[in-house]
Amino acid sequence: MKSKWYTLLSVIMLFSLLAACGGGGTSSDPGEAPGSGGTEAPSGDKGKTTVQFWHSLGGKNGEYMDALIQRFNASHEDIEVIGTFQGSYDETVTKLQQAIASDTGPDVSMLERAYVQMFADSEVLEDLTPYLEGSGISVDDFTPGLMGHSTFNDQLVSLPLNRSTPILHVNKTLLDEQGLQIPTTWEELKEVANALVVKEGSEYKRYGVTMPYDTWYPIAMISQAGGTFFNDDNTSIGFGDNGAGAKMFTYLKDLQSTGALYYPPAQDSGNIVNSMFVEGKVGMMYQSTGSIGGLSSAVDFDYVTAFLPKDEVYANPTGGANVTMLSSSKNKEAAWEFIRWMEMEEEGGLEFILQSGYLPFTKKMVESEKIQELWAKEPNRKVAYDQLEFATDTNKDVAWPEIMHEFFSAMEAIMYDSKDIPATLDTFKKETERILAQ
Amino acid sequence: MKTFDLKIVWTMLGYLLKAAVLMIFIFPFLWMISTSLQTFRETMTFPPTWIPASPQWGNFAEAMQAGPFLTYFRNSVVVTGSIIVLQFLIMIPAAYAFAKYKFPGKTLLFGMILLAFMIPGQVTFIPVYLMMADWGLVKTLLPQIIPFISNAFGIFLLRQYFMQIPEEIIEAARLDNASEFKIIRKIMIPMSKPALATIALFSFVSHWNDYFWPLVMTDSAAVRPLTLGIAMLRETEGISNWHIIMAGNVILVVPILLVYVFCSKHIVKAFVYSGIK
Repeated sequence: MKSKWYTLLSVIMLFSLLAACGGGGTSSDPGEAPGSGGTEAPSGDKGKTTVQFWHSLGGKNGEYMDALIQRFNASHEDIEVIGTFQGSYDETVTKLQQAIASDTGPDVSMLERAYVQMFADSEVLEDLTPYLEGSGISVDDFTPGLMGHSTFNDQLVSLPLNRSTPILHVNKTLLDEQGLQIPTTWEELKEVANALVVKEGSEYKRYGVTMPYDTWYPIAMISQAGGTFFNDDNTSIGFGDNGAGAKMFTYLKDLQSTGALYYPPAQDSGNIVNSMFVEGKVGMMYQSTGSIGGLSSAVDFDYVTAFLPKDEVYANPTGGANVTMLSSSKNKEAAWEFIRWMEMEEEGGLEFILQSGYLPFTKKMVESEKIQELWAKEPNRKVAYDQLEFATDTNKDVAWPEIMHEFFSAMEAIMYDSKDIPATLDTFKKETERILAQ
Repeated sequence: MKTFDLKIVWTMLGYLLKAAVLMIFIFPFLWMISTSLQTFRETMTFPPTWIPASPQWGNFAEAMQAGPFLTYFRNSVVVTGSIIVLQFLIMIPAAYAFAKYKFPGKTLLFGMILLAFMIPGQVTFIPVYLMMADWGLVKTLLPQIIPFISNAFGIFLLRQYFMQIPEEIIEAARLDNASEFKIIRKIMIPMSKPALATIALFSFVSHWNDYFWPLVMTDSAAVRPLTLGIAMLRETEGISNWHIIMAGNVILVVPILLVYVFCSKHIVKAFVYSGIK
């Protein structure tokens, strides 16, 4: 009995000891606040400036990002970037809010583009304009379609990084079987989608087109129908009174009623539509460019991408994340060097873009031999870039995350419960005006 | 004759019901294991396949190579182990005092403990984080341990258990000049093993599986547990490699199953005993 008791005690001491040294022993940052590192770094790396970089990339893309950071560290003797995965885009935002409040924030962070304004409004993001000028870089060096979320109050607060856009993914084999052309307008989409429907009894064996449960696609279609998500002075929605919203939802409900549109359940909708597309259960799919790589390796049919069909105009929002510098950073020069290298140098962002399949974000990248070669080999990827000419981001407001939830409710009411479209949009409009007036 | 038939029908119905409930609980596990052995192409098939065409054991190696998994694993073990050990150090004397002592303010104090276990972690994480940041601990494992060393549910459960231990045994020990420390060690702990095992298991599962707290409390891979390592296998955008993610999840779940097998005998006892009294 006595020996047992001592065993227990020693186990306790062992655990406490491990717990106490677990952090300090392996983390290379000695200070409690990130960014204060480098003042007296332990063993060997004398005078290195540590730059903390938070990102949201898991899976393969996370590995590519790690490789990018390693390339940077290998080529910079005096700077060490420590990249940390902070969960999904939303979780990263929560972490940033909490870290900024307690002054433990990183120097550089990835930020989902729709959240940029929220942080810019709180004045916690560094204005990058002087840094760009100092390095001889112009805003015109970047892909214009991807700069929609970068400037606020005349300050350049973020630069594009891992950016995507929705495009139309097409099972060309299915279309060819029926002699159908890839649709370029809403009218053509309706015809093609209906022609693809296979119905046995009361059960649909194949649908025409599908899209994940997300605000992204309705927003794209609102712009195509000549509306904007918010009106010009951000006091209300810009698709109510001009009928673009009602037109879009009526169109979708019409497609849904004949099986031309399969609208998936909310939970895990992205995976559901992806596997339906791969299995040939649906002929066309609205989905992010981020899926091209995965789909290419999974399908066994002729798979092509195309512009989202237009109504009055071609239009599409953009997605993905930007990179931003926190104004609380204590190592701004080193932080900028990391951002500059990542944005401009060939072994920085370009390599990452080639591996991951995200959109090239500088003109130099687009003109590079490597991107041109890639596009020649995989034309599907070029389509997404070409479509950026029509990119328009109209859901920009500090209150967007809050209004997004209301828009989801409206989408659910219409797409799942077949509620009256004008009445639902009216309620949504009032709710938006209330939130925007706050 | 008729009543006999009815009995068989009821028994059969009982078995069917049990089988159905069992399926509901076991189904996600089977799916997880099945997916962890499939190829990427196979995870995309619809309807899903149950038996992988050719089991891909390499998925586990691939999941392990996706990050510093040994570090994650060590952190999980250290954090969960420390929490359980420290919890017991605080919980046992506390429960003993609440069960067997009379002192002013006892009801109020006990009420406060009960309140503590009704407040969800999401409410307190910001103040706790600020406190930990103030103390300079956010780069260590401690913010994942310290807030949990007092286990309100455990104190409550153990107190109920201690109260069932007859006063006479304790009195007899006191007559033999046993110290309070010795009473706890020689009487209370051995007699409440089932309850201790139950609490240890619950505590282990919830902290081993915790995702939210470690995510908000840690900033670097060096101090992160296995749950965060596995979350990192998932793509933010694009198509996730479910076969790799599920292989990671199998690795995450195996220790829980092992601990359960180890504790289950005691846990069943805990429920049997409390049923008798």
